[in-house]
Amino acid sequence: MASKWFVIKRLLLLIPVLIGISTVVFAILHLGGNDPAAVMAGQGASQEQIETIRSELGFDDPIWVQYTRFLSDVSQFDFGESYVLKPGQPVWGSILADKLPVTIELAIYGQLFGVMLGVPLGVLSAIKQNSLTDHITRIGALAGISVPIFWSGPLLIILFANILGVLPASSRIDTQYFIEGPWAFFGHELPLTGLMTIDTLLLGNIDAFVSAVEHLLLPAAVMGIYSMALISRMMRSSMLEVVRQDYIRTARAKGQGQKITMLKHGLKNAFIPVITVIGIQFGTMLGGAVLTETVFGISGLGVILVNAIQAGDYPVVQAAVLVFAMLFTLVNLTVDITYSYLDPRIQQ
Amino acid sequence: MSTQTQQRRRRRGIRGFIHRLRHSRFLSNLAANRLAMIGLLIITLMVVIALYARIFIGGVGPIEGYYGEIMGSNLSGNADMAKAPPSPKYPFGLDGQARSIFPRVLFGSWLALKWGTVTVAVSTVLGVSFGVIAAYYSDLVDNVVMRTMDVLLAFPSLLLALALVSILGSGLQNAVVALILVYTPRFARVVRGAALAVLEDEYIDATIAIGAKDFRVLARHVVPNCLAPVTVQSTLNFGLAIIDLAALSFLGFGAKEGAPSWGMMLSAGVENGLHSAWWWPFFPGLALALTVLGFNLLGDGMRDALDPRMRDAID
Amino acid sequence: MDVDGNHSRRSFLKATGGTIAAVSLAGCSGSTDESGGTDGGSSGEASGTINYARGAATKSLDLHKIDDGESVKVTNQIYDKLVQFVPGKNEIEAGLATEWETEGKTITLTLREDVTFHNGEDLTASDFVATYKRFTDPEYEYYIGEEDATSYAGNTFGEVESVEATDETTVTITTKKKFAPMLRNLAVFAAGVMSEKEIETGEQFDSTAVGTGPFTLDAWQNEGEKIRLKANPDYWGETPKSEFVIFLAVGENSTRVSKLTSEDIHIIDGIDAEGADRIDKADGVELVQKTGLVTGYMAMNLEKREEFRNTKVRQALNYAVDTKAIVDSIFRGFASQSSQAVPPAVPGHNEDLDPYPYDQQQATSLLEEAGFGDGFDFTLTTFTNPRPYIPSPSQAAQKVRTDLKEVGINVTIEKKSWNDFLNYTIAGKHDACFLGWNADNGDPDNFLRPLLHPGIESPDGQDWASFSAEGYNVYNASGWANQEFMQKVEEAQTIIDDDDARMKLYNEANQISHDEAPWVFLDHADELRGVKDAVSGFKIAPVGGPFLDLVSVE
Repeated sequence: MASKWFVIKRLLLLIPVLIGISTVVFAILHLGGNDPAAVMAGQGASQEQIETIRSELGFDDPIWVQYTRFLSDVSQFDFGESYVLKPGQPVWGSILADKLPVTIELAIYGQLFGVMLGVPLGVLSAIKQNSLTDHITRIGALAGISVPIFWSGPLLIILFANILGVLPASSRIDTQYFIEGPWAFFGHELPLTGLMTIDTLLLGNIDAFVSAVEHLLLPAAVMGIYSMALISRMMRSSMLEVVRQDYIRTARAKGQGQKITMLKHGLKNAFIPVITVIGIQFGTMLGGAVLTETVFGISGLGVILVNAIQAGDYPVVQAAVLVFAMLFTLVNLTVDITYSYLDPRIQQ
Repeated sequence: MSTQTQQRRRRRGIRGFIHRLRHSRFLSNLAANRLAMIGLLIITLMVVIALYARIFIGGVGPIEGYYGEIMGSNLSGNADMAKAPPSPKYPFGLDGQARSIFPRVLFGSWLALKWGTVTVAVSTVLGVSFGVIAAYYSDLVDNVVMRTMDVLLAFPSLLLALALVSILGSGLQNAVVALILVYTPRFARVVRGAALAVLEDEYIDATIAIGAKDFRVLARHVVPNCLAPVTVQSTLNFGLAIIDLAALSFLGFGAKEGAPSWGMMLSAGVENGLHSAWWWPFFPGLALALTVLGFNLLGDGMRDALDPRMRDAID
Repeated sequence: MDVDGNHSRRSFLKATGGTIAAVSLAGCSGSTDESGGTDGGSSGEASGTINYARGAATKSLDLHKIDDGESVKVTNQIYDKLVQFVPGKNEIEAGLATEWETEGKTITLTLREDVTFHNGEDLTASDFVATYKRFTDPEYEYYIGEEDATSYAGNTFGEVESVEATDETTVTITTKKKFAPMLRNLAVFAAGVMSEKEIETGEQFDSTAVGTGPFTLDAWQNEGEKIRLKANPDYWGETPKSEFVIFLAVGENSTRVSKLTSEDIHIIDGIDAEGADRIDKADGVELVQKTGLVTGYMAMNLEKREEFRNTKVRQALNYAVDTKAIVDSIFRGFASQSSQAVPPAVPGHNEDLDPYPYDQQQATSLLEEAGFGDGFDFTLTTFTNPRPYIPSPSQAAQKVRTDLKEVGINVTIEKKSWNDFLNYTIAGKHDACFLGWNADNGDPDNFLRPLLHPGIESPDGQDWASFSAEGYNVYNASGWANQEFMQKVEEAQTIIDDDDARMKLYNEANQISHDEAPWVFLDHADELRGVKDAVSGFKIAPVGGPFLDLVSVE
């Protein structure tokens, strides 16, 4: 089957990219201005102490030995120990494992916001091509990709949190809620996902769930604006493209009303390219997460990355960058494969 | 394409260039696009503001600037005065250090456009070189160059910039270098696509057959034919570059303390002014968004005006 | 200690170990006869929850692994010390020990008898001995390990020769020499008492804690970002007024303020000037303020820059910087001008000294006399994030630049993140830098010794030392090494029986440093807390706090 080969080919193509990513990440530690051993030894350490640490950590091995070791460690989610943020504690277990779901949750809801508003706007724009609605939507979309998150975020906070006072401006849930206890359905303490909106439901705490959703609204909106803008543009143009195709004309010739035709036949086909847009802009989304988390005081992967860079905690920087890149790569892979099933032409 | 090429061979030099501009379908399409023209207007306005700020605030030649005033702190004692809201005297208010935000925002446009131009110009040049070389030599070179670009493209752009900043260290210049590395692959990819299309043309084979050197073929025939998509890509990325630069400053890795960069001002505004002084984040952000909108409007119009064959290459 | 503590100073202090350890202890030698205190667990139902927001997550609850304020705020609720600070005052009162006696080099303390740990074990003298050994004794089976132990091992117990359990309820501490600040050191968080049984059987102490304090650990989430404590019904003192305390980490200063003014947080700390202003103007919340035990300054590096070796230049800079504008406008009045290292609330502060006035003319003529009439250039290194002693570092730096330009000195500002900053300044690479200090134990020695004493003899005929010299106390960021000053500080450290004589020496030392001006004395910042009106019983404690057991929420 053709699509099977496509998937295999796509996976094979992934290998050099993964190697490349890990090389760049590996380089962060070794090209950074600071001597990692000196950073670990701490301020004012003597030269011998530094040398001891250097050989303990294997920083005096040949670079390719270090690189191989790095690859094998990383493939087991071992990113080493933090230098500064939590000295001596494992980067993954003690720092990142908790933060990843935070960022993923933001990205999911941001994306959801983008799709749920972007698709209808794009369709509307296409149906009413060249009308006032169309123009406004198109300009709106361009404005949407022009507004930086670190401006729209503050503006929304000023409006909804400060002036109207209807939504919280920061953190993920009201202070009183602790995510703990047995699952609502099984009555046992089972592992949780780390996604607030899911965990609160698993624990059967509806109040906490509502609080979590309230806290997500503004950041998700801010993150979603960009993808909403891109998706509505893409949706519009692919709707218009599809409409020009023959079968739509046929359908219309058979006497169906124009709008019904477009919706019935156009929507499904027009939706396919939109999926690629989701993949393409997911990187921007992740970059946006860093800014969104900063603006809304949400302690996710992005904030940790920024803190780690400021503090010179290179293992944390490496791990965070790698996790971000992997997320991006994974999403793109999924999108490509999904796309190949939806539109078999791509496989050629 | 081949008729165009013959035309090109007939007229060389400046006159030929002007002739081509006049008869360019691209430009006439573009001029007919009202939104694109609005974008151009915004950009022109911003450039004028930037130059004004550079000359009259920064000071050039006999003209005395007052850059020191908008950089340094003007505090004297009255704390509430230091963050006065917008008024006729201080149209955008004061920033907590008794500095008027208005001239700071004006000067910010100079910084944004200057460093945006450097970022985009250098990454365009690098991207064109890589892209053309990859397309022309194909096989090994192509693979090495483009796989490297793929790796860089596998990082979310702001994240790659942050990773590079962590290597290079903070500071505006370093942030610009980081962004150049982030943007180069985008140009390389577009140019490679466009160059491959050009290379399919028979006349290139003919040129090579009569013994033209590689460099000559690339410089005189391939590159000029890629210019249109590159220009579009540059315009579209200009806005992004300005945002990303501001974002790096916003996160504390770009402009120096006190520098009137929009990102820096937004950062101060979000840190301190979010709840008490809305004008701190509002005006710098507005200027930033407007400038970016200008480039996006123009870039979007340019893409629409472009030959459909080339359009596909641009994302 | 670093009250706002987003950053570990561990390794730094480790390096300076002995030096700083030698610092501190002071004085209330008169407290020997003080005993009792808040006795007996009077009953009263604990109810309600206090939500407390601070700037960063708690790194660990292990007393011997932490040196940051965010962690200490929590451990102070869980662990008790032998002696403790009176809530809101720089004074010592009875803690787990009800009586103590100082004689020459020994302190003998008698423990309370009715105290149990959260695990049900009774408190005995051997618990303290085990705690001490865990922290400082590499021979001990349960030693924390050199890697993990913080500098507070040296800070707190560095001068200790031995700790012994004379009987079930008596602890005898012997110091290496007469050491005035010893008793105060016992009130420092790092001297908190852990359960011997727990030390021997516990697996980890980062996210578990068994103490004797008013609260027990109830929940630990998101790696210490969110912590819930529950009132300890068996507490030896008065039962806490609130049933729960939730500690929440909120990184951004302004966000934290919003959480107080418009969300569900009851108490916040780490407030910058802007935030203080907002709290002041908001309804339903109160800004509580108290002069802190902190000092902020700009150190001029005598080793690096020849210009600064001239006393007149250093004085000129003190005249040229408008510190009044800095404390009034930038710190918005939540700080006072400084004339010396020791803050007003600490004994030994010299009341006769006035801050240098803002006087450009004086500055210019001093510079001319010194031969720098044409000015010079230097780089001012500062940290990025607000710290309690300098709440708005970048704005203050910009003000310094503006002011010094007026007298012909061109300043370039260089910002570094806290860790880089420390690395840079302790290596002596700075021309001048902002820095500050929070009291650990409220003793003047804790300021003068670490901040202005070089830790080594100064070379003949010069009043500065080299940062790279063996044994140099790198926290002395100006490299200043004044014989007379050093001698007074050293002598004061050993006076354990005459407080007046000791304080007189500190007064003189402060006079010398004021005149010689190795720093531009900037400010003594206020401690600021934002508190909801619904909260009662909250007192700002510059040392030893927060005392949340006294707090109730309506």
